[in-house]
Amino acid sequence: MRRNKIWTIFIGIVVITGVCFLIDYPTVPDWVPGYKWFSKPKIHLGLDLQGGTQLVYQTDTTNIPDNQRTDAIEGARDVIERRVNVFGVSEPLIQTAEAGDEWRLIVELPGIKDVHSAIEMIGETPILEFKEQAAARVLTDEEKTAINNYNKKAEERAQDILNQCLTGGDFSQLAKEYSEDQGSKEQGGDLGWFSKGSMVPEFENVVFNTLKKGEISPTLVKTVYGYHIIKKDDERVNNEGTAEVRASHILIAVESEELVSKLTEWQYTGLTGKQLKSSFVSFNSQTNEPEVSLEFDDEGAKLFAEITKRNINKPVAIFLDNEPLSIPEVKEEISGGKAVISGKFNLKEAKDLSERLSAGALPVPIKLVSQQNIGPSLGKISMQKSLIAGIIGFLVVIIYMIFFYRLRGVLVGVALMVYALILMSLFKLIPVTLTLAGIAGFVLSLGMAVDANVLIFERIKDEENLGKSKINAIKDGFKNAWSAIRDSNGTTLIICFILYQFGTGLVRGFGLTLGLGVLVSMFTAITVTKNFLELINKE
Amino acid sequence: MFNYTSHRNIFFSVSIALVTVSILSLIFFGLKPGIDFIGGTMMEIGYETGTPTNQEIKDKLAQFNLKELSVQSSSEKSFILRFSIESSSEISNEGGVDETVHQNILESLGNPEEIRFESIGPTIGRELAKNAKWSVFLSLIAITVYIVLAFKKLGKIFGHGESWRYGAGALIALAHDVIIMLGFFSLLGHFKGVEINSAFITAILIVMGYSVNDTIVVYDRIRENLLTYRFKELNQVISVSVTETIVRSLNTSLTTIFALLAIYLFGGESIRNFSLAMIVGIGIGTWSSIVIASNFLLLGRKKEVGK
Repeated sequence: MRRNKIWTIFIGIVVITGVCFLIDYPTVPDWVPGYKWFSKPKIHLGLDLQGGTQLVYQTDTTNIPDNQRTDAIEGARDVIERRVNVFGVSEPLIQTAEAGDEWRLIVELPGIKDVHSAIEMIGETPILEFKEQAAARVLTDEEKTAINNYNKKAEERAQDILNQCLTGGDFSQLAKEYSEDQGSKEQGGDLGWFSKGSMVPEFENVVFNTLKKGEISPTLVKTVYGYHIIKKDDERVNNEGTAEVRASHILIAVESEELVSKLTEWQYTGLTGKQLKSSFVSFNSQTNEPEVSLEFDDEGAKLFAEITKRNINKPVAIFLDNEPLSIPEVKEEISGGKAVISGKFNLKEAKDLSERLSAGALPVPIKLVSQQNIGPSLGKISMQKSLIAGIIGFLVVIIYMIFFYRLRGVLVGVALMVYALILMSLFKLIPVTLTLAGIAGFVLSLGMAVDANVLIFERIKDEENLGKSKINAIKDGFKNAWSAIRDSNGTTLIICFILYQFGTGLVRGFGLTLGLGVLVSMFTAITVTKNFLELINKE
Repeated sequence: MFNYTSHRNIFFSVSIALVTVSILSLIFFGLKPGIDFIGGTMMEIGYETGTPTNQEIKDKLAQFNLKELSVQSSSEKSFILRFSIESSSEISNEGGVDETVHQNILESLGNPEEIRFESIGPTIGRELAKNAKWSVFLSLIAITVYIVLAFKKLGKIFGHGESWRYGAGALIALAHDVIIMLGFFSLLGHFKGVEINSAFITAILIVMGYSVNDTIVVYDRIRENLLTYRFKELNQVISVSVTETIVRSLNTSLTTIFALLAIYLFGGESIRNFSLAMIVGIGIGTWSSIVIASNFLLLGRKKEVGK
């Protein structure tokens, strides 16, 4: 009965090994049942073994509310994936990674030849964002004091300039020098002819009612814009019988609390290139000017409707590559999921933009921060070298074991082969991307696998020295070796876990392969080796 | 039978000497961090024909104002260039990748084959360095805690502090291994220009796993023998336990070192330093497990427990 159980386990091991062998075998012949399934899993080779490029992009999520960041990053990932697919790389891999409070996009392009064009192509991806104005905010006391101080200084400066004007200074010269009204400064402060109703009341009151032709106002005139020094140049009555005045002014601007509180930045709305479905050139039905039409997906259409609804009679800005491209005012809620960017395009510009947008637009700005290229020849050499190193390492270990433990060493050799076959098929099935570090981890886990066997063999020797029968020595040897195997592999697994958690790329792959190796090696040591030993030692 | 405990002062002296040299080297020479950790650019190029000299390459690159440029031939026809790009450059304010400069450099060198190119921004570098330190630190803590828990049973029989003593012993042995590895690579860095990178940190972590592996096997045997022969003196129990486990420890370490030697000799340039670090580390780790960690258990004992 006991022998039967041992034989059953043995057959189980043979079957598992057989299945693993078929999975590992590159091309299974078609007379094998289920050969299609066996041939399907492929070994994934890392960039260092097959050549290629890894690009790391930093995303700028500072303007995006916390809860929407993941969405935006995923959107960026999808957009870049679409872009890269156009490039025809066999198995591009685009991952997102969180580092502290920053998000990164890791783009892996295996086997790519023209890295430069790929970088350019990704770099050209437009960043499209729809933004709305933020609500006015309450100013802090510090800001209020700062504004007051600024305004006081402005008044002093204005008074100084006024004094110069009144004491015979050249008004237009002073305007050119000091005026902060960019529109009239270069004309010596000349505002041209205007009638009542076109200027702020305080200003009009002075020019129309107080000043005579050629006179300069003896006191500063304060309006919402700041302090004005006003000179009335001329007056007339126009053809329609309205009084008109021609005046010049020097403006020293002030800051108002109201303006500053409204002067907040454009706010993230969640509507970005992520929801863009297509883009094409259209023509404005009235002016016949070229425009760029955007069509959103369902999510984008919904968002756009919400945004336009809450911003009626307010501007909504369309940002392209971080610059406001167009800031139209919303007239009504737009529910069809279509938007138009109109503006100062000529036909070619409109075409270029719509083509760029069609290929996908990013929801967040990205920046290339790290690049790693492995030439195909280096990958090939590394692959060959590490394979040779792996095989030699494997053989050396087995020879050493046979030399030291004779027949039992041969059993370990067989058990190690079972171990290698199982591990390889796991690599294929999971799948684990095999890198140079991964192969090193594999070779190292061979050492670990041997260790469990050595522990057991030494233990069996000890038990035999105590005068136990062979089969009992084997039984007790396994039992007593277990705590050491468990604890030593336990600590290694802890390290693998830490490597996997904290590592990036290379280190991660190493942790994963070594961890898997340790688990499988424990299995082979306590089932396969034990079974073999029991088979050759009859009771 | 060789007594492993009566010679403990010699063992401790050897280890203390090694650790002292390592610490001195770390203080005076420091470690040479690779671009993984500080950011920068590494480029390996190969020429089919008309291989230039190191100086010719340097001259051609003079126009780019590269910082800390070094040119090193990696074989007859290939070179490894290391440099960092001016961090105030407008295109690349991260100091890392500057694709335009990259392409210009290749062009000015006569468009050789680019075997390898790596460019890492300093932010990412700093982050990797931080992660590396954390992972070594965390591993030390996790392993110590694991051992304290695994040897809890001893605490029940021999008094509360006993399992902590095992934890501390393993921690000391691990710190010993890590410091000597760092010291060794600090010397290599000073005299041979060997840089430490992520792979080196991985090697440290794995050596820690390996060393603690050995330590646990020895401790496991001490635990078992203590429970079996309760009336023997501790130093005898330890010596017997080490004798019983040393064949296994050496066998395991030697097989692993053989496997690593294969990688060192045939695995190619890129993982050579990694396998060297592992070989050194596993050698040191085996030493510390066999004679340091075991004898640590005797330190500061009152006479009654272990003569």
